[in-house]
Amino acid sequence: MRLSPSLLIRQNLTRKLLRSILLILCIGVAFFIFGVLSSFQQGFKGASAQTSRLVVASKVGGNETLPLSYLPEIQALNGVADVTHITRLRAYVENERNIVGANAVDLESYARVYSDAYAFSTEMLRAAGADRTAILVGRTLAERMGWSTGDTVTLTSFVHARSGGDRNWRFTIAGIFDGAEMTTDTSFLLARADYFHTAVMRNKNRVDLFGIQPKPGADTQALAREIDALYANSGAQTRTQSETAFMSAFLEQFANIALLVRLIVGVAFATILMIVANTMIFAIRERTLEIGVLKVLGFSGGRIMCIVLAETLVLFALGLCLGLCLTAVAIPVLADALQSVVPGLYLTPRVIATALALAVGFALACGALPSINALRLPIAAALKHR
Amino acid sequence: MTSVSYDIELNGVYKSYPLGKSRIPIFEDLTMTIPDGDFLAIMGPSGSGKSTILNLIGGIDTVVRGHVSIGGSMLDKMSTRALTRWRSEVIGFVFQFYNLMPMLSAAQNVELPLLLTDLSAAERRERVHTILDIVGLADRHDHLPSLLSGGQQQRVGIARAIASDPRILLCDEPTGDLDRKSADEILELLQLLNTKLGKTIIMVTHDESSTRVAKRTVILDKGRFVSEEIAQCA
Ligand SMILES: Nc1ncnc2c1ncn2[C@@H]1O[C@H](COP(=O)(O)OP(=O)(O)OP(=O)(O)O)[C@@H](O)[C@H]1O
Ligand SMILES: [Mg+2]
Repeated sequence: MRLSPSLLIRQNLTRKLLRSILLILCIGVAFFIFGVLSSFQQGFKGASAQTSRLVVASKVGGNETLPLSYLPEIQALNGVADVTHITRLRAYVENERNIVGANAVDLESYARVYSDAYAFSTEMLRAAGADRTAILVGRTLAERMGWSTGDTVTLTSFVHARSGGDRNWRFTIAGIFDGAEMTTDTSFLLARADYFHTAVMRNKNRVDLFGIQPKPGADTQALAREIDALYANSGAQTRTQSETAFMSAFLEQFANIALLVRLIVGVAFATILMIVANTMIFAIRERTLEIGVLKVLGFSGGRIMCIVLAETLVLFALGLCLGLCLTAVAIPVLADALQSVVPGLYLTPRVIATALALAVGFALACGALPSINALRLPIAAALKHR
Repeated sequence: MTSVSYDIELNGVYKSYPLGKSRIPIFEDLTMTIPDGDFLAIMGPSGSGKSTILNLIGGIDTVVRGHVSIGGSMLDKMSTRALTRWRSEVIGFVFQFYNLMPMLSAAQNVELPLLLTDLSAAERRERVHTILDIVGLADRHDHLPSLLSGGQQQRVGIARAIASDPRILLCDEPTGDLDRKSADEILELLQLLNTKLGKTIIMVTHDESSTRVAKRTVILDKGRFVSEEIAQCA
């Protein structure tokens, strides 16, 4: 075979094949851990993305509702740009374990208030406007259920019966919508509130939430206080929170577990990489004599350094690929299993980029430290190294 | 290139190594000349500084005071970079323990220093062929060092040392690890390189009988030459 620097690198990597393979496996596992952990972090963050929106719920909490008649009053407040209302259907498909997130909303105002979170096309809104039983389904949910536009689906509500007592609701899918970002939760569907509140037997015009888009620059905390004060003496008192606080209250119950997992996994990642670095550093130190011989032959320090760095880069690149492939396989499985906890669990480009940067950094450090040492050693001393 | 004479001159060389806080001197005032085309054998007890002389001439160690000049180049004035380049062109090293790259074949080991030249892959291949022929290993191209005998490995070591056609060969106990017969073959090869190809050879040896192939033998003791003999068979 022709001798070339790349052959030199390849031969160095394969001369202790088992060690190289084990190193690649270790790096792979480390980045698998990193990939899954970071995706979780992103998923949590995605679920509570920064927004100025406010959420109005019943002060009592739980399943208590609010009258739809609050809507024009809230709309009339000074700091409010837009407001929409949301009623939870609390439904399942086919069997009771197969719960789907389903909300009855006023699609037009909903699309305006949540324009930065979900991408509703004008066609799908028009299509939904033409059919009272239309629903718009989030991409994640549609994929999970295998639904597509035009399908007719039957949801069974745990609580809401139609006039006549039937708890089955038949809908036709008018469109599939996407989240604005990869991690945006789209595992729910939207039905038309006008249809729902006409057809439902009890609790007509009682809603679960109002979503408020404040005017730009408005003091949202003051606005929240104003709304709650407005209904302080009414039959249905409100509790107004930022959407972020509303979401994190929900996520808080997992926070301690998440912290623990993060800690353990972080320590595992660091430990594995430390072992890898240690092994590589020793492997290169073993070659001090060889590095001395290369210098005697006239190879410059820079050239030798490039060869060593290329070796560690190749090892880390292979390990990184392995780790990310494992992550890519594992994430969809985990996402399915943890649907309700971390709705937006994806391997994002951001996570991949971070992993890549880490891998390059570690590779350079693992290669540079021992080879700088070997190169600094006077040749005569390196030649005595055995 | 051939018009330049590669005489080796050491002038008032002072060399010491640090030992704890003080320094122990190896050479205090060493002056010697080795003319181009010489075959010099250096003998002497262990620790007398034989390897150190080779290292100073080969530019892999530096003097504390004094000068080393080879073919007009002052090694003590050169930058590390220039010295590295100069060494790859002028000096070939032969080691006692061969120091071959274990994962490269005989031919690839010989080709290694040629990666630093402008030769094309085809030219390199041809050069490697010729040189392995000269050292008598034409049929061992693709063998890994571990599959070669000690004598054969040293031939590869010599082939690698002469691959880029240096004028000076520095051999530190080249037969120290070999049996009599292999040693004799290596010595004959070195003599051939000296007489036929005109290489200057400086060979450190512990074996009196191997000095017969040299033109001159010097004996070093405690940093001084204590005797010099001109070989009869030169
Ligand atoms: N890098 C070094 N640091 C400190 N002392 C050194 C170093 N290299 C050599 N010496 C010392 O210099 C002296 C001469 O060493 P050198 O290797 O030249 O001896 P030598 O004649 O080649 O011996 P041998 O026959 O055992 O190879 C020795 O006393 C040795 O301990
Ligand atoms: Mg020695």
